[in-house]
Amino acid sequence: MTPDEDLDARYLQAAETFGPALQRLARATEANEERRRDLLQDMHVALWQSLARYDGRCSLGTWVYRVAHNTAASHAGRESRRNRGSLPLQDAEDLPDSRSLSKDLERADALDRLNAWIRRLRPPDRQVITLYLEDLDATAIAEITGFSPGAVATRISRLKAQLTRDFKGAAHD
Amino acid sequence: MTDRDPLLTLWNQQEQEPFTMTLADIHQRAHRFQSRIRTRNITEYAASLLVIGIFAWMAVLIPEPVVKAGAALIVAGTLYVCWKLHQLGRAASTGTVDQAASLADFHRAELLRQRAALATVWNWYLAPFVPGMLVFVTGVTLVADTGLPLMARLTTFAITAGLVSAVFGAVWWLNQRAVKALDKEIAALDRARQK
Repeated sequence: MTPDEDLDARYLQAAETFGPALQRLARATEANEERRRDLLQDMHVALWQSLARYDGRCSLGTWVYRVAHNTAASHAGRESRRNRGSLPLQDAEDLPDSRSLSKDLERADALDRLNAWIRRLRPPDRQVITLYLEDLDATAIAEITGFSPGAVATRISRLKAQLTRDFKGAAHD
Repeated sequence: MTDRDPLLTLWNQQEQEPFTMTLADIHQRAHRFQSRIRTRNITEYAASLLVIGIFAWMAVLIPEPVVKAGAALIVAGTLYVCWKLHQLGRAASTGTVDQAASLADFHRAELLRQRAALATVWNWYLAPFVPGMLVFVTGVTLVADTGLPLMARLTTFAITAGLVSAVFGAVWWLNQRAVKALDKEIAALDRARQK
């Protein structure tokens, strides 16, 4: 197998295993459908490029999550500089609305609202909560993010409390 | 049996959209990214060449020595900025942006990169134009024979110099504000990592 074929094979294996997680991350980062598709493609290209340098310093999963989240963070940073001061239309539409929240939740619209809520978080919080939602434990999240497991656990608990408050508050408005 | 957080169930229930990017598409997009950087660099150099062309033309055509000197200084300033852009572009293309660094390390490196770009913009992007602009404006408003009375010339000089200073000052102020915001963000990130 040539080095290029080896790289392609490693990428295909990673994409097969982590593709759905990358899609969920793209959805939690970008509301606009076209830009989200672009972001997802950027993640896959960054992953393919990075695997040429995969040195086994961490597990493949940690590597993939780091590359994907770093690509997503760069994208979010670029978009927020471009739209400074303005709220993207899609996000505005997803803000909790007192008249329709409970109905929307019943209509399984909760995911859209959860994604919109995540998009409004600062990068470290956004990364920690999406990794938690991928069912990773605090130690794995700590390895990916560079925070200590204790700091990760505290952050998760604070974010979950904030999520409950925000949604409950909106429902009572 | 442990209680699974319903949020996790909700999150993992998301429908998957078909992902149609082939390996060939990935290779092509990776190549296109490099081409985009090249195009951006060419655009920056073309804009600089335009400024150089206009002021070099003025330096040759306008007989007034002070205006000539001002135009020549602006050309020199633009050449310096071009050289710095080239240096920065080379550093960025050979620099190792570690996409697989931990998220905190990557985020910190990004913040530091933005901070450095903003904090030094005055030194390499604005300051090189100051001598040229000053001499050029002085030459055009005060030295060149415009037939206007001295008071009118002084007023024109003050207004023009004031406008140029205001633009430069506003850029500097906005950059300093952004640097302070980045410093706060870096400090918050460092505090979070020490916990």
